[in-house]
Amino acid sequence: MSEGMTTSAWRPRSAWAGVARAGRHGRLQGEAGVRLTLGDGMGLATLIAADGQETALRQILTDRFGWSLPEPGGANVVGERGLVWSAPGQWLAIAETRHALDGLAEAVRGLAAVTDQSDARALVRVSGPCARMALSKGLTIDLHPSAFRTGQSAVTSIAHIGAQIWQRNEAPAYDLTVARSFADSFWSWLDHAAAEFGYEVVGTSGH
Amino acid sequence: MRIRCSHCGERDNGEFSYLGDATLARPDGMEADAAAMYDYVYLRDNLAGEHRELWYHGAGCRAWLVVTRDTRTHTISDVSPARDVARTRRTGEAA
Amino acid sequence: MTTITLRRSEAGTAAVSPGRNQAFRTATGGLINRQRPLDFSFDGVRHLGFEGDTLASALLANGVRLVGRSFKYHRPRGILSAGSEEPNAIVELRTGARREPNTRATVAELYDGLEAQSQNRWPSLKYDALAVNAFAAPVFAAGFYYKTFMWPAAFWEKFYEPMIRRAAGLGRAANAPDPDTYDKAHAFCDVLVIGGGPAGLSAALAAGRSGARVILVDEDHQLGGRLLSERREIDFRSGADWAQEAVAELESMSEVRILSRTTLFGVYDHGAYGAVERVSDHLAVPSAHAPRQRLWRITAKHAVLAAGAIERPHIFGGNDRPGVMLAGAVRAYLNRFGVLPGRRVAIFTSGDDGWRTVADVAAAGGQVVAVIDSRSSVSPNLRREAEAVGARVIAGGYVSGTKGHLALKAIDVVDTYGSSETIACDCLAMANGWNPIVHLDSHLSRRPVWNEVIQAFVPGALPSGMAAVGASAGRLTLAECLKTGAQAGAEAALALGFAAAARDTLKTDPEGIAHTPLWRVAKPKGKAFVDFQNDVAASDVELAHREGFRAIEHLKRYTTLGMATDQGKTSNLAGLSIMAELTGQAIPSVGTTVFRPPFTPVAIGAFAGHHRGKEFRATRHVPSHAWCEEQGAVFVETGLWLRPAYFPVAGENDWMQTVNREVNTVRSKVGVCDVTTLGKIDIQGRDALALIERACANPFGTLAVGKARYAVLLREDGFVMDDGTIARMSDTHFVMTASTANAAKVMQHLEFCHQWLWPDLDVQMVSISEQWAQYAVAGPHARDTLRDVIDPGFDIGNEAFPFLACADVTVGGGIPARLFRISFSGELAYELAVPAAYGDAAWRAIMQAGSQYGITAYGSEALSVMRIEKGHAAGAEINGQTTARDIGLGGMLAKKKDYVGRLLKERPALTDPDRPILVGFHPVDPAQRLRAGARFLAVGASPSLEADEGYMTSVAYSPSLGHWIGIGLIRRGPKRHGERVRAYDPVRSADIEVEICSPVFVDPKEEKLRV
Repeated sequence: MSEGMTTSAWRPRSAWAGVARAGRHGRLQGEAGVRLTLGDGMGLATLIAADGQETALRQILTDRFGWSLPEPGGANVVGERGLVWSAPGQWLAIAETRHALDGLAEAVRGLAAVTDQSDARALVRVSGPCARMALSKGLTIDLHPSAFRTGQSAVTSIAHIGAQIWQRNEAPAYDLTVARSFADSFWSWLDHAAAEFGYEVVGTSGH
Repeated sequence: MRIRCSHCGERDNGEFSYLGDATLARPDGMEADAAAMYDYVYLRDNLAGEHRELWYHGAGCRAWLVVTRDTRTHTISDVSPARDVARTRRTGEAA
Repeated sequence: MTTITLRRSEAGTAAVSPGRNQAFRTATGGLINRQRPLDFSFDGVRHLGFEGDTLASALLANGVRLVGRSFKYHRPRGILSAGSEEPNAIVELRTGARREPNTRATVAELYDGLEAQSQNRWPSLKYDALAVNAFAAPVFAAGFYYKTFMWPAAFWEKFYEPMIRRAAGLGRAANAPDPDTYDKAHAFCDVLVIGGGPAGLSAALAAGRSGARVILVDEDHQLGGRLLSERREIDFRSGADWAQEAVAELESMSEVRILSRTTLFGVYDHGAYGAVERVSDHLAVPSAHAPRQRLWRITAKHAVLAAGAIERPHIFGGNDRPGVMLAGAVRAYLNRFGVLPGRRVAIFTSGDDGWRTVADVAAAGGQVVAVIDSRSSVSPNLRREAEAVGARVIAGGYVSGTKGHLALKAIDVVDTYGSSETIACDCLAMANGWNPIVHLDSHLSRRPVWNEVIQAFVPGALPSGMAAVGASAGRLTLAECLKTGAQAGAEAALALGFAAAARDTLKTDPEGIAHTPLWRVAKPKGKAFVDFQNDVAASDVELAHREGFRAIEHLKRYTTLGMATDQGKTSNLAGLSIMAELTGQAIPSVGTTVFRPPFTPVAIGAFAGHHRGKEFRATRHVPSHAWCEEQGAVFVETGLWLRPAYFPVAGENDWMQTVNREVNTVRSKVGVCDVTTLGKIDIQGRDALALIERACANPFGTLAVGKARYAVLLREDGFVMDDGTIARMSDTHFVMTASTANAAKVMQHLEFCHQWLWPDLDVQMVSISEQWAQYAVAGPHARDTLRDVIDPGFDIGNEAFPFLACADVTVGGGIPARLFRISFSGELAYELAVPAAYGDAAWRAIMQAGSQYGITAYGSEALSVMRIEKGHAAGAEINGQTTARDIGLGGMLAKKKDYVGRLLKERPALTDPDRPILVGFHPVDPAQRLRAGARFLAVGASPSLEADEGYMTSVAYSPSLGHWIGIGLIRRGPKRHGERVRAYDPVRSADIEVEICSPVFVDPKEEKLRV
């Protein structure tokens, strides 16, 4: 990745462009049961430890970025930055912007492979009193507080579309990502799932 | 069916795909012969009982797993990461 | 009287039909809301019922007893039961697009405006022309399909099948798309309680009070099970009141979820369950945004099976006549619905349980005319109670037959001495004992076991984590239901670490359960039905026995016993018991058939949920999708991807015209194609090259940094798995592409190689398919076009960036990108990868930059034409049946390394020089069109398997050459250039002479590629 010096006239297109519309949808009476905040422009990267380098990697990430590597099924995200466990020896690094991760690859050279995924995912934050019920229509994992809490993550599928989810707080609010090319199909399902509760779409959580 | 992935915990079987017998080792290297490779690719025991088999957690952490399942009851007694099993086996072979 | 009140409320209605007076509704009582009358119609006649009614109870309240015609003989049928086991009262519900056939009237909740029709009758329910089938009954006996319609064979399609379909039908499906939506949900719990009767409620209370997560599922809209239908007491209050209190307590618990109107239809391995919730079936139309039904997948750590039991009918002549009902159903209509199923009720029982009906009929104002108990010894108390209400008691007797055309008018009774008499009645209540519902615990291939005490099958060894309680465990008394339920609920919670304590036993009124089943009467008068819904009589079981179909699974298939939509809920044991008697075996020795999901029918729509029509499966969009839509591109589905197939412009009215223009423009000017759909895999690490060497069949050790190479992967059995390219970005960093169709499979295969075959390799792999938009820019002006897209300072000239070069570049003023000089079209070409969010901008920039050169966007059709012109193998050739040698790649295979597929590709059959190998074909007459799939035959050979020499895999009209071309596999192909063969395609009546040639039709010397 080049350093953050882009002066491009090219405008990035949000994964949700032409897919999600801001405003109130589904059941209109009462408070919206589900609140959907669209993520856009965030920095994402896959971090895969080289064999036997996990301890050293852990140290560098703490020293240089103040990050701690989450255990399997974990997510250490503070604000819009942090790491989400993805697979054995593999994490998803998250930051507010794509350029916020520019120094990562160099910092961990020799210890881990870093691959930019800033454009690979469509991210939506799901909250509201009916968030868990709406998500349970597509997720085959248990989001009950006795099974899944803040700081936990899962790689799974939602409505037959591959997804990664982590819980941000006990409200609860969840961050959910699907592959970018599936955004339209995913949204069609989400609209169907959340309509009975009434849902509200709000702009972007990135910039 | 539910399978307890070594990394992700218990998940619906829809997240996994099945490959087959995990007790076979690929005849590796230039010295391997075709007869051994033929056995490895085609010959399978059809067990009634405990079977060690390869499953792939494709919709999850993408790990290959060695699942010990009773083919008569589907009871799963063990799930281990395939990479760990394979490394242990190779260490055993080398010793 | 309430009925009078209702008539008054209807006084304003112009024509009150005779059926609107609810003449059989009791004066008081029942768990119905008499303040809420509901209008409904059956076969076009309007009636009234009450909120809380089922269609069956409302029909009975209005004196409607004839509700359907039987499947085979078209015999008049009424209402047998009051639950989901109903075999007879199946109707079409609703109209138009919402019409649903084979709905059980006994579980269809009444709503205002409900419309139902009887089915399997013509022209009307009362005068059914096909009732003559009954007189031809000997023809329609068991096995009649197999015996009668075998000959002549030609008659089957034209005559027999349409006739059978007309005669032996069930309801009609709607012939318009379903307007409703369906939903799916996943739920998890500690304890799943199946059934909301006394046992289930007790289990849910015991588990719920401990704080465990509990899901209670019940198919009824009101919880309580038999408590709603029996006049019983628990702790000195009515059973129904107790149930209501239990429900209220459960509803106050935050970790308890009650799913009523929900049928648990399937039990699956490891604590997985399927259930369907009828969210809106009790409404005329679902409310806005609400689904009609919701499919639940429930995962439970423990389950308590409290599904209850189903009462058994007696097997005697004419036991299917409307008015003959199960005694428990009679009590349900009396006590729960306030309906008299008849005014003169006879009771035929084989146990104490049936005698409960006496007091209930009398209390509701009906007359009990007789109690016939097949046991010769009857308790004096029971006898006294019956005689007190004026009923005759016939002990040691049985009902042999019934009289009445469309409804019961009398029964023939044989007493203990064998003498017969006829007793007038309009309702007969049968009580022959109860069968625990063993369906659900049998779903995991577990067989129920015989219980001598209750003379019924009960659950055998249960799956771990499952307990059966109450009637479904054969513990038939109310006291046992309450006790076993509470115990199991507490034990399940305890096992999961919750502090659950058993409470004091609840007090119930006493009940007698002495019972001696009468499997069938000695001398039935007329057909005695075993399976009502499939019209299987006792005589059919005898026939099966005579003809040797004695094993239980044979009996089932030969007679169709238990195979109807009710899955033999009221019939299986009856059939078994007769076969046991005929073969001189004990019932458990005959065995049972296997119960499988679903317990009751489930609409396909519920299984599909959101995923139907366009949403049947997910669709993936390419980064240029928005632009393609703006341009009116025609899309094609490629796996999950929606790819632009071609881009028509004004004046083009034929797809081929468009594709020809796109190909010609690429070959003469420049074109751009979205190839993002290719799989892209990032491979890094110390041993990245080693892994690639072992996975790929061609060598990569010599691949320099900054270079890309074609890659071929074999399966271990020696056949080609996929092909792609591998680019070396640095010493330890490679980017690999795989075909669109095989992208996921190749990634999975590489992970298998890494994790299982060679776990010591230090490799880091991840899919980058979604990260990068990738565009092929091809044609003589490709370089000119890209010069304006790629940031200045990077030389893409032929010297600096030759064929097969690759590099990190920037575009659009600093956006990181990757450039590969690879070509699928055979033209000077590049593939440019940009971050997917910039895919739209990059595409527009390329179109802008190329406009001065006359650039065209081209789709998958033109891409395909050009690859055939170049003889490149693709999906039609790499089809799992071809080796690298077959498709002309034999020469590139590595000789000095081990790789997947190395050994088995050398098997004799795969190296047979006679194998079909890929070559090109062109028609001898250039005007003729070629067809993929045509078989190759020698000129003059007659078509036969022996004469077959191979087949055409891909064809295209080549605008570059002006005629059709094809590539295909033919024996010894490369040695036969210039030879003529036939391309024989009898499916499309084509038989064309073609000439074998090189598969590379355009620029065979690759002069355009490397400039």
